[in-house]
Amino acid sequence: MRRRILALMGGVALVACVTVPLLQHMLADTKPQVQLSVKNAQPREVEDVTQTAVLRDYTRAWEAISTSLANNSLQPLNENFTGFALDKLTQRVKDQKQQGLSTRIIDHGHKVDAIFYSPDGAAIELKDTASIETQVLDGGKVIHSDQAQIHYYAVMTGAEDRWKVRVLESAQ
Amino acid sequence: MRRLIFIIMAIAVCWFAEECARAAELQVPANAVAGQPLTITVSGGGTLYLIGPGQVIKREVKSGSVEIKGEELRGAGRWIATAGGQSQVFWVKPGKPENLSFLARPSRVPVARPNVMSGVAFVFDKYNNLVIDPTPVNFNLSVGGTGSARTVTSHEGVAWTNSSSAAKAGAANFVASAGGAEVKRVVQQVAADPCRLTMRVAGRTADRIIVETEPVRDCSGNPVPDGTIVTFIQTDKTGKSTVDSRIKKGIAHAELPASDNATITVAAGVVLGNELHVGGR
Repeated sequence: MRRRILALMGGVALVACVTVPLLQHMLADTKPQVQLSVKNAQPREVEDVTQTAVLRDYTRAWEAISTSLANNSLQPLNENFTGFALDKLTQRVKDQKQQGLSTRIIDHGHKVDAIFYSPDGAAIELKDTASIETQVLDGGKVIHSDQAQIHYYAVMTGAEDRWKVRVLESAQ
Repeated sequence: MRRLIFIIMAIAVCWFAEECARAAELQVPANAVAGQPLTITVSGGGTLYLIGPGQVIKREVKSGSVEIKGEELRGAGRWIATAGGQSQVFWVKPGKPENLSFLARPSRVPVARPNVMSGVAFVFDKYNNLVIDPTPVNFNLSVGGTGSARTVTSHEGVAWTNSSSAAKAGAANFVASAGGAEVKRVVQQVAADPCRLTMRVAGRTADRIIVETEPVRDCSGNPVPDGTIVTFIQTDKTGKSTVDSRIKKGIAHAELPASDNATITVAAGVVLGNELHVGGR
């Protein structure tokens, strides 16, 4: 009887060992959970349509960061970033590729406040409290892993058919 | 048997101690600033990776201090240092304000309108990191030698102001400056809608009556731009004749059919001018 229980527990542990990383990987590829509040935006009130668009496009931007840093691909960045943010993330991906590194981001969600919306409606600044797990891999080996709440400042500007992230900066 | 166990344990302890000694210890700075040199202490040597928001730095290091040059450390934000199986997170703050991103809207504006222009300035350091610390930003708006200035302290990287347009038409220089950075935008201030519209009969022929306006100006006395449309309407027993005329050199004129009893009115935009009665011979 004891042996059976031990064998069963061993089996459960084995299944957990396989499924937990798999689930983590799957979660990493799904859309990040982003909550956007616009009640503190100054000096202009954020329109409902703008709020919806900014939420959609900021979520896409984080998906793009995860995909780009994991696969060292630039295409997702070009679609969602512009200006300084695009320059910096592009350089990061190029450097990672050159050094044989990649970064896996497991995104546990963002609480975002719109803190500035320009009088002409062309630019919006967001303050994001993100819960993020970061794993840096050298080849297939994890060389760094941490989970933290990180504050980000993001400036988004209206582009042809979407809002693009122009500035993305983490701060203490 | 006991001796064997003792020997195995002694080997294990030595092996563990050696591993501990070999494991790299990382010491990262607490107050790093973008563009300033940085020293990281690594004990044990190996490959040091510094992974920042916009770059990755790789160094083969021996035990001791590693200096990273200021121009290498460009990105502000959260960095990861990793070497020999150890890793640390450290923060890099933005440097001094040295760049501005200045949005001035609109590019063309009527004179004498309250709070019609806005200027938004995002403050960056030399490496285009957003400077979050409060920074005084000067906004200066001038046209034809006169102007106004205002200092606004940035909040979370952004400072903004709004301003009324001047009474005088012309190209206004809208300048934002902070630290060593200065950015200029030109806002064209144009005359507003006509203020008073007065016309007179300027001539007659056998079958035509010529009317023209006095020089058309806005309420601040600026000439309304050429090309602005002025509408003349003549009403008599045969009906209505309408002529849309563009202002040329400040004046609009129209030729209307001669009539022995007609009323002529003039309008531009929402402004109605005087009324003339002609004919009655």
